[in-house]
Amino acid sequence: MSKYMTFNEVVFKDCDLLIGALEDIGCKEIRQSENLEMGRYYSDQLPQRAEIIVPRNTIGNYYGDIGFRRSENGEYTPVIDNLDQSQVLNGQFIPRLRAAYNERVIGKVAARLRGTIHRAVEGNIVKIKVRY
Amino acid sequence: MPEINFTIDPQTGEMEMKVEGVQGPQCADVAKIVTELTGAPQQEENTKEFYAHPNVRPQIHNKKT
Repeated sequence: MSKYMTFNEVVFKDCDLLIGALEDIGCKEIRQSENLEMGRYYSDQLPQRAEIIVPRNTIGNYYGDIGFRRSENGEYTPVIDNLDQSQVLNGQFIPRLRAAYNERVIGKVAARLRGTIHRAVEGNIVKIKVRY
Repeated sequence: MPEINFTIDPQTGEMEMKVEGVQGPQCADVAKIVTELTGAPQQEENTKEFYAHPNVRPQIHNKKT
């Protein structure tokens, strides 16, 4: 069964950083507008609307679009088909997106503080130092 | 020189942040910039530096009358 799921516990506050992070992990043809309709490719996929859409078949999402719906407080939450969620980027779509988004956040923080960035990877952990 | 140390776990995407070299509650200003972009943290803890008094003497300006 294929159905769209909304991840309310995962939020992205900045639209530009989110789109940049999506591009960082390999998303293409990203659409952004108000109240876009997500595609329905299976009968179990209920109608969904989103402000950012990664179209089907652009990052291994064979079952549906990947959407990001903006809430009243301006935060974006992902909407993704349950089968895509377990398969896109080997099931690591959301963790990798969060990591890419957080790296973008650090870049923006460093710019606002007029600081310098030093990035290192130790084991599986990314360590980033901002001096200002 | 103040610095912010971030760690990101690629397995979960979660990020931790530690502000160093900033005494007193000024580090909260830095934390605010981050939380504006990430949302409220799951966990927050003040370091010893937060409770230290910044080594700043008040300046008194005398107006000439």
